[in-house]
Amino acid sequence: MSDAPARVVFTTGFSRRYTGGVTEFAVAAKNLRGVIREMDRKFPGLAETLEEETTVAIDGELYEIDFLRPVKPGAEVFFIPKIEGG
Amino acid sequence: MNDTVVTDSVKRFKWVGTRPLRPDGIPKVTGRAMYGADYKLPGMLYGKILRSPHAHARIRSIDTSAAEALQGVKAVITAKDFPDQKFDYIGPERVAVNFWHVTRNIMAREKVLYEGHAVAAIAAISTSIAEEAASLIKIDYEVLPHVIDVDDAMAADAPLLFDDMITRGVEPVPTKPSNVSKRLEFAVGDVEAGFKQADVVIEKEFKTAAVHQAYIEPHACIARCDADGQTEIWSSSQGHFQMRALTAQILKKPVGDLRVYAAEIGGGFGGKTVTYLEPVATLLSMKSGNPVRLMMSREDVFRSTGPTSGSSMWVKVGVTKDGKIVAADGVFKFQSGAFPGSPVMNGCLCAYAPYDIPNQRAVGYDVVSNRPKAAAYRAPGSPISAFAVESVLDMCATAIGMDPLELRHRNACRIGTPTIFGPKHAHDGYAQTIEALQNHPAYKVKLGPNQGRGVASGYWFNGGGDSSATIQVNADGTVLVATGSPDVGGSRASMAIMAAETLGVDYSTVRAIVADTGSVGYTHVTGGSRVTFATGTAVVNATKGVIKDLCKRAALIWDVDPEGVIWEDGFAKPAGSNVGDFEPLSLRALAAKASATGGPITAAASVNAGGQAPGFSTQFCDVEVDPETGKVTILRFVAAQDVGRAIHPSYVEGQIQGGVVQGIGWALNEEYIYNSKGQLDNPGFLDYRCPVASDLPMIDAVLVEVPNPAHPYGAKGVGEVNICPPMAAIANAIEAATGCRLTELPMSPPKVLEAMDAKGA
Repeated sequence: MSDAPARVVFTTGFSRRYTGGVTEFAVAAKNLRGVIREMDRKFPGLAETLEEETTVAIDGELYEIDFLRPVKPGAEVFFIPKIEGG
Repeated sequence: MNDTVVTDSVKRFKWVGTRPLRPDGIPKVTGRAMYGADYKLPGMLYGKILRSPHAHARIRSIDTSAAEALQGVKAVITAKDFPDQKFDYIGPERVAVNFWHVTRNIMAREKVLYEGHAVAAIAAISTSIAEEAASLIKIDYEVLPHVIDVDDAMAADAPLLFDDMITRGVEPVPTKPSNVSKRLEFAVGDVEAGFKQADVVIEKEFKTAAVHQAYIEPHACIARCDADGQTEIWSSSQGHFQMRALTAQILKKPVGDLRVYAAEIGGGFGGKTVTYLEPVATLLSMKSGNPVRLMMSREDVFRSTGPTSGSSMWVKVGVTKDGKIVAADGVFKFQSGAFPGSPVMNGCLCAYAPYDIPNQRAVGYDVVSNRPKAAAYRAPGSPISAFAVESVLDMCATAIGMDPLELRHRNACRIGTPTIFGPKHAHDGYAQTIEALQNHPAYKVKLGPNQGRGVASGYWFNGGGDSSATIQVNADGTVLVATGSPDVGGSRASMAIMAAETLGVDYSTVRAIVADTGSVGYTHVTGGSRVTFATGTAVVNATKGVIKDLCKRAALIWDVDPEGVIWEDGFAKPAGSNVGDFEPLSLRALAAKASATGGPITAAASVNAGGQAPGFSTQFCDVEVDPETGKVTILRFVAAQDVGRAIHPSYVEGQIQGGVVQGIGWALNEEYIYNSKGQLDNPGFLDYRCPVASDLPMIDAVLVEVPNPAHPYGAKGVGEVNICPPMAAIANAIEAATGCRLTELPMSPPKVLEAMDAKGA
């Protein structure tokens, strides 16, 4: 399990717009920067969208995009729409 | 009497969890605190905004010549004085914005889209001259049909606010424009299959009124723009960095030319995260060469600033006889006001979030209509969908003969429960809030005639993100904590508590201030229940930076390696006997030697805080319904909330009580009343009925502490989730008292009476 890639998941709506409808990807990366870089390699230009428009949940924990945020092997990485509070 | 339920080990803190006096208390109770309207500058002009009397009209022309000619008038501006903006949704729609819309909300261009929409602004040497000048501005309007209600706005023959608005999120892309700016859909599992497993399926339609945040202090600011473009703004807002960014964008000025100072704020609740006045005051100052102050009246606030959305909803829930929720479905139609951007996405994401439901779907619509653009309001979106979902859940509990708390407990989300938006829950806390009420003695109290008890729950994400803090150690060892978070709920005290706890010094030696945009690092708004978590983390990190520096200085004084020094209880001490025999050095002693050991002792920290943990709240209330008038009296209200760790419990209880009271107002009385011309008939607190103290019992706040490991002291956001349950809790209590299910807010006496009459109750 130690070198298992992260499972990267997008919402259906997001995947329709940016990843040809594919919602899940296996990505080997140590941190969020690595995940975003790899997704941008697959879909050029996607990095900017991920950085600007999404909040990320890594194993359920919500974070704003932060390149240095660690991604453990086998982690679930969900990109979801950014959320605003009051 | 408020209670605290602690779920981890016994507290071991000296200051965290205590209730010291608030440092901002004296200036506030003596009237000396400086709010936005209190600032004055030499040569200051008085601003006035002219607003539309029409709900919907095309602007054929604006003639400002007579106003400009009036003696004492120094500047008149209209939309043509603002740079136009590209039509582009920048970033996430709900958070960022389309500045093409924003600039048109601040000052109408082609059309006015609601009564109160700003069309021109004047700066003059007195308020009376500014008002006279406003009356001299001639505007040729072509009045257009208007639409207020969300269902009416979605009708095929509805008047269109934008002739080219094509609904996004629909495939194939519609060919005709409409008032529906966006459709969203979130789903997990197979909803249809889920309903087939249910023994009981209940569906219902609901409507909620748009309600205002009803902050006591109207918006106000003062701006001074110098000839070289350098600009200073004093403003009452939930984020002076946010005001700086928005003003810079709207006026296309460099951010570095703007410096914004946070005035004290008399309430915001989300409504002061957006700008209305700052760019206008700045532009008037640019044009006149003088500082300009702009203030809203109470009527301006109601007619022109964003309430939260009104809505129209349909929710369907299926349960088994043994209380398992097997499917939930819902359609959530939210008003966004005159421009796109309601919190409907949040409403969809939060609707079923407290529950483990294998099959869920939420469809949302963002709908424009001729009312002020919606703004954030405490857990934006979540209370609206919670009203519908928690009402139907209560009906399900009744149908299967189960206690409503028990139904919720059996289906409570736990760590690992999937959400409709994808990730699994990473935190507990919800079930504990239910258990706190199940164990609460008042839940077992028997009620009398015309009385009923209702329960409901709520979920909110809570926020993290960018925050900064700076710590300075003064020459006498006292400490200054500077952050960029406007203090709306006691954050100065909380920040000082966390710094004192980390340093191991007395709370009274630590002072916290709100620094301006030129004096501390960028800090995102005070909103989203993020400050204690995110800015608190920055404060603790900066304090740890100071401690590291202090240890180095002690090592220098003792001629030992820095690794040989530890910081404990406010003193630098040798890490062990092998380091040497030195008397511990206090903060005061080290501060006295600051110059000799490297200069002033300061540290700054900036964070992008994450892992904030969501908020859960479960509440019950007892009501009595007057069978002759339909008036609902709240007899008892108990609100349990997972707060992580209460840094200053009094402030946490205050947040819970405040959120509940706002929810009570939303439930029972608050609404906008528009006449046939689309004009607001109740733009004041006499007719827009907020609860006052005499309407209410003491709100019993139960603090459930399930600490968040991602925060140095376990804190979670506490400011918002408390407003999610009250509307459904009260509706459920009214049904228990009368047998009448009310599905439309507000549940004001005429509506309750009508329902009772219809039922023959």
